Amino acid sequence: MIVSVLKLLVQIMLILIIAPFFTGVIKKLKSKFQHKIGLSVFQPYYNLIKLCKKDLVVSSVTSWIYNVAPYIYFMTSLFAVLCLPVVHQLIGPAYFTDLLVIVYLLVAGRIFMALAGLDTGSAFGGMGSSREMLVSALVEPALFVIIITVSSRTGIASTNVSSIYEYTLSHTEAAFSPINLLLFASMLMILIAESSRIPVDDPSTHLELTMVHEAMVLEYSGRHLAFIEMGTHIKQLVFMTFMANILIPIGFNIENIFIGLGIYILKILAITVLVALVEINTVKLRLYSIPNFAAIAFIISVLGFLTCFILK
Amino acid sequence: MVSEAIFDTINRLLSSHMLESKLLNENEIYSEVSLASHKYDCINIYNNIDCVLVDLFGNDTSEIDGSITVYYTFAVRSSNTLITLYIKLDKKGSMQISSISKEIPAASLYEREIKDMFGISFTDSADSRELVHHGNFPLKVHPLKKEFRKNTRLAFEKREQSFTSISGTGVFEVAVGPVHAGIIEPGHFRFSVAGEPIINIEAKLYYTHRGLEKLSENEDYMKVLLFSERISGDETFTNSLAYCQAIEKINGITYLPERALYSRVIFAELERICSHIGDISGLCVDTGYIFANGQFAMMRRWIQMLCEQLTGSRFLRNTNKPGGLRRDFIMDNKKLILDCLNNLYTEFNDTIEIIKNNGMFIDRVEHTGILNNSIAVDLNAVGPGGRASGINTDVRKEFPYAAYSKLKFNVPKHANCDINCRMNVKIEEVIESIGIIRQALDKMTDKGSVAVEIGKLKPYSFAFGMTESPRGENIHFVMTGADNTIMRYKVRTPSFCNWPVLCHAVNSNTLTDFPLINKSFNLSYAGNDL
Repeated sequence: MIVSVLKLLVQIMLILIIAPFFTGVIKKLKSKFQHKIGLSVFQPYYNLIKLCKKDLVVSSVTSWIYNVAPYIYFMTSLFAVLCLPVVHQLIGPAYFTDLLVIVYLLVAGRIFMALAGLDTGSAFGGMGSSREMLVSALVEPALFVIIITVSSRTGIASTNVSSIYEYTLSHTEAAFSPINLLLFASMLMILIAESSRIPVDDPSTHLELTMVHEAMVLEYSGRHLAFIEMGTHIKQLVFMTFMANILIPIGFNIENIFIGLGIYILKILAITVLVALVEINTVKLRLYSIPNFAAIAFIISVLGFLTCFILK
Repeated sequence: MVSEAIFDTINRLLSSHMLESKLLNENEIYSEVSLASHKYDCINIYNNIDCVLVDLFGNDTSEIDGSITVYYTFAVRSSNTLITLYIKLDKKGSMQISSISKEIPAASLYEREIKDMFGISFTDSADSRELVHHGNFPLKVHPLKKEFRKNTRLAFEKREQSFTSISGTGVFEVAVGPVHAGIIEPGHFRFSVAGEPIINIEAKLYYTHRGLEKLSENEDYMKVLLFSERISGDETFTNSLAYCQAIEKINGITYLPERALYSRVIFAELERICSHIGDISGLCVDTGYIFANGQFAMMRRWIQMLCEQLTGSRFLRNTNKPGGLRRDFIMDNKKLILDCLNNLYTEFNDTIEIIKNNGMFIDRVEHTGILNNSIAVDLNAVGPGGRASGINTDVRKEFPYAAYSKLKFNVPKHANCDINCRMNVKIEEVIESIGIIRQALDKMTDKGSVAVEIGKLKPYSFAFGMTESPRGENIHFVMTGADNTIMRYKVRTPSFCNWPVLCHAVNSNTLTDFPLINKSFNLSYAGNDL
């Protein structure tokens, strides 16, 4: 009992420590691809520390939702990542949860963020909320197809994380099957949409009218903003972990935790390279073209689903 | 020659009620008309001569004749002539003029400006709201009247500003600015949106009004030169050039050393290249195209570094002076300039090829922000914005200054009216500008003086200085006072003309596309607010 609690605590610490790092790596890679020096990979940490030191500015018209939303967003993201196997072992909530729980945890966090965006009464908050909900509603079907495909392979058609974990552990060679590659491609698109990256959203823009996620959290400051940023880093890690451990389970069955952790981080770094490459080579889409983007993700995932039956 | 023909036409058209008429500075016709008939006369000229209203401004001439003079300036672009009708308003009188804004839409903005600055009211106008006076500016203050002292501290007011309100199910107002999320100039935009599509947008500017016109009053003309350089950062050279040309005209200096003229062309074109590349870079940034943005930002920096090497200022400040240039900046730097341009030419063309082949980028800019030709004509859209909507106008061709008449270049013209088109105009202009600089370097002599003495200013004289700034037609009116001072310095930058045009181009696009459309015009707030 104590051992598993300790394991859980270690895993939480680990996630909190590594999550901002990958955002920093993506930024650094983007700069490198442009032959720029770029910010340090640890910049997201400095930002979080800076934000925690700053005062909170809270509008007088807001309700309790505005104040609790950052914490709910952060906690749901954290809980979602704990539901997935990070290294060889299943720890804590991952024993008894379901992949659908992960999806709805993220949705819950997002709903609170959207409500908080509306809560301030500013034009941008509402605008951002409506856009964010649009994007998330559009990519959700693809996410579900991926989950269904992954679970239908297990033989018992269960979306339980533990059964999928068992299957993955015994089928690490599936990483190179066409099913996984298709699902991986679809998931990459979902990751890009969900973590507010180009071509869906531009995380570094200063143009308040084009923002999606940033517009929604425009009113936040200080500690609240730090929690939202941390939540976003972790949310990104949820999708990356899913890709690294379930879709490309290379080296997932290595029992040494430290080597397993090393492989896990390497795989995520490989994904960050892909994300950075996409960001550097594409242009932000028109808002009305985002449905096309989501449709492509959906079609790819459906192809993966069908391939699953063809190859059976 | 041609100006004289127009002069005769005007004399004939207005013969019955014209008070005074003269042809000054070779191509500027000034005709005084009476307050009663000016509306009829303006419309008469507007309809019968192929001209556009390019300036409308007041001038407190109370020290000469105790009145406020209002000038209506029309440009006959086909024959290098400016027609100015002016009326004198007795300061003790009713201070009312009948408006021409319903007949000549472009006049509306100028009339609102005069109303705020001089307290003259326009009867029967299309729009009588405040323009310069924003919500924190006291209404009863009219800064350009001579009674207003420069160091007056204004009271801080809080007033609701009126915007066109649009109501209906699902129609919301989105207020943006004047403080923005990025480090950009202040301006307030009021959008009426139905979801994402914009139904109507209104811009409320003048938050960066520095009172440059007021500050210039009764100042030495060399000091006003410094003001002119600070109208708008990236148009420093063209603005100072327009001012210098006006001063030169006033003092009757028709001949400048050739080296000065060619140097002015070179600097003006360097500024244009810099500005246009900056605009294209901005378009890339707004679409999240970071690679291309980095490329163009780098090229822009090359030109700025070249400018710094040549003149010591990246924005070409302290380069011009009435009568020529402050010193010979080109000297033996010919090779330096040519090398920089050659590098730029290859790099620019390569990058343009890349961005033109990026379907996602082209999808963003194509068919977005369409500015109809009829609106562009009515509101006198100038510069690349106008040229992308089929208005083929360029001061360099129509009112040639410096050495432009001796150089060969094309003025790009397109008619697709969208962002892509405006970008293409800018791209082609960069290529043309590189050609112009090469020709100028080729034609100019290696040595020679770069300035002439202009002597003492002729008191109480006036002239227009016109240049083609990177953003378009730039008109400066200068009237001198006694002892080398300036009595009235009226600046009309291209941004002033294009702001209302921009609002029309934005309508019926989506909110997310607004920054992109805004960038495609890239208007100056400071240059508009003065």
